[in-house]
Amino acid sequence: MHVLKVDDLTTHYYLGNRPVRAVENVSFTIDKQETLGVAGESGCGKTTTAYSIMRILPANGEIIHGSVRLDGEELTTKTEEEMRQLRWRSASIVFQYAMNAFNPVLRIGEQIVEVMMEKFEVTKEEAVNVVAGLFDEVGLEPSRLRDYPHEFSGGMLQRAIIAQALSCDPKLIIADEPVTALDVIVQNKILDLLRSLQKKYDLGVLFITHDLSVVAENCESTAIMYAGNIVEKGSTSDVFKRRLHPYTHKLVGAFPSITGPKKRLEFIPGTPPNLLNPPPGCKFHPRCPFAEDICKTSEPEYLEINPGHFAKCHFAGQLELEG
Amino acid sequence: MSITKNILEVDELQKWFPVRSGVFSLFGEKRFVKAVDKVTFSIEEGDSLCIVGESGCGKTTLARTILRLIEPTGGKALFRGQDITNMNREELQQMRLRMQLIFQNPFEVLDPRLPVRTLVGEALAIHNLVEDEDELEKRVLSVLEDVRLVPAEDFARRYTHELSGGQLQRVCIARSLILRPHLVIADEPVSMLDASIRTEVMNLMEDLKNEYGLTYIFITHDLAQARYIGNQIIVMYLGRIAEMGPMEEVIQNPVHPYTKALVSNVPIPDPDEERHRIMLPGETPTPIDLPPGCRFQPRCQEYGEGCQREEPELREVAPGHFVSCWR
Repeated sequence: MHVLKVDDLTTHYYLGNRPVRAVENVSFTIDKQETLGVAGESGCGKTTTAYSIMRILPANGEIIHGSVRLDGEELTTKTEEEMRQLRWRSASIVFQYAMNAFNPVLRIGEQIVEVMMEKFEVTKEEAVNVVAGLFDEVGLEPSRLRDYPHEFSGGMLQRAIIAQALSCDPKLIIADEPVTALDVIVQNKILDLLRSLQKKYDLGVLFITHDLSVVAENCESTAIMYAGNIVEKGSTSDVFKRRLHPYTHKLVGAFPSITGPKKRLEFIPGTPPNLLNPPPGCKFHPRCPFAEDICKTSEPEYLEINPGHFAKCHFAGQLELEG
Repeated sequence: MSITKNILEVDELQKWFPVRSGVFSLFGEKRFVKAVDKVTFSIEEGDSLCIVGESGCGKTTLARTILRLIEPTGGKALFRGQDITNMNREELQQMRLRMQLIFQNPFEVLDPRLPVRTLVGEALAIHNLVEDEDELEKRVLSVLEDVRLVPAEDFARRYTHELSGGQLQRVCIARSLILRPHLVIADEPVSMLDASIRTEVMNLMEDLKNEYGLTYIFITHDLAQARYIGNQIIVMYLGRIAEMGPMEEVIQNPVHPYTKALVSNVPIPDPDEERHRIMLPGETPTPIDLPPGCRFQPRCQEYGEGCQREEPELREVAPGHFVSCWR
């Protein structure tokens, strides 16, 4: 059974009466020990997808339809109280800015212990012991439980957040740009840590980032989002090496690399569409070099082109996208 | 090496910020954050120099000290042979017309209450560099066309909220270029932009370099990006230059153990690439209490005898390729 199964998820934000189509018809699954990387540019709906799964959307956001099954349980129909019980215990989320995730006037240890005591019937002492063990596991001195957030460096805070995410023994961790604010060396240390803990605790990880290089090195599977849709999804090597969607092709071509010949980098003319008023047909057609008449009028379906490799393009499989 | 070829020469430039911590510091020794510590380099006319390093290594402080937005505490910086560090206010103002800074976050530097026309033209007006309104308008429109914000008349009327991130950064570039500078220092100019737009701005800056005859200093934390925009590179660690030289040579054959670690950790957008990462123990120490000898020595994989004794000076290992390491 999949740890997470998302089907046809559609989430809109309302500006007055006008809907912003932030996420539309998104489907994917995550298994135990699998890391799915969701990549795309700002505003493509990757964070909204995460927030919809955890049901922590802002007040003007609403799940219009679709289903989210976490370990077999349907989440979209749960009451707020039931969701509150589930968060941290079944799924936890690691945010981008560790600095903002902790309360600056409380000791870090206390904040993690507080969550555990809320979710489980444990004494404070027991909780402190568990957290001390977790600190050790993420490479922090257990004595630093008594520190305040400002006494930690960025990398240490990110480790503390991971300890907190693990404290209630979840099955799924959603990591929303977990290393974006960190320097590369620290970044890799945190990613290695996340991976080893994932294996140890049998976790599914939904990894959200804008950086394709990080996805290439850390995720088994990859989903590329554009303007609220998943436009391509498959194993990471399929998505990077046997690209089906022109957007994926252009985006991968836009990333500089320190290896290989120095070729001219691609860019995509224009800007992503305004989701209050998306273009008809394929949402990528105004920026797509391969667009034909059909792309302007009819929205392509999200189809399995090769086993396990999906794409949302009228010409998927017919275009020559080398790489 | 002839002096005339170098547009900028930085000689043992230094910026130490004093730290005050508690009452006892009144009696004790004064302590400093050594943000920039005896940095020496030069840049030739027409080059693109990238200064890379992790957060806190002093790359931004270095740029600001060169422009004297922050007063240096030692050393010299010569712009076309003239010492910036002892210029008076007027000379400094004249010099800054030739030396412009582009900031990281275009969303923050532009006043949302002013139209693009004013944002781009205000420096010309302030410095009285135009005869009348007509000339100002002409210069603004022409520079907007140069940064490919066309139709220029349309963009000149707009306000910042009507522009995308990439367009805003191009307004910032236009604001600098309208003064016809010779040296442009760009502090992470594209790191706030999305990947698909980033290259467009990078390519534009490359084209403008030729059209305007510019010399660039780019400050970035991203080595992969540096490789695409620069031909020279300086790698900084804790306020000092660890390694500098021609871009490809330094990235393909790094000599300093810190550069080696940094290069090995840059993610590559290719899932099949085999990586051998060099993991550095610990974290970067604060630039207040520096370790004895080489400041990288506590984390160095190639640590050996002598490293604790003295700070290494830059030495040339190949033509134009300098390293500060005892090994």
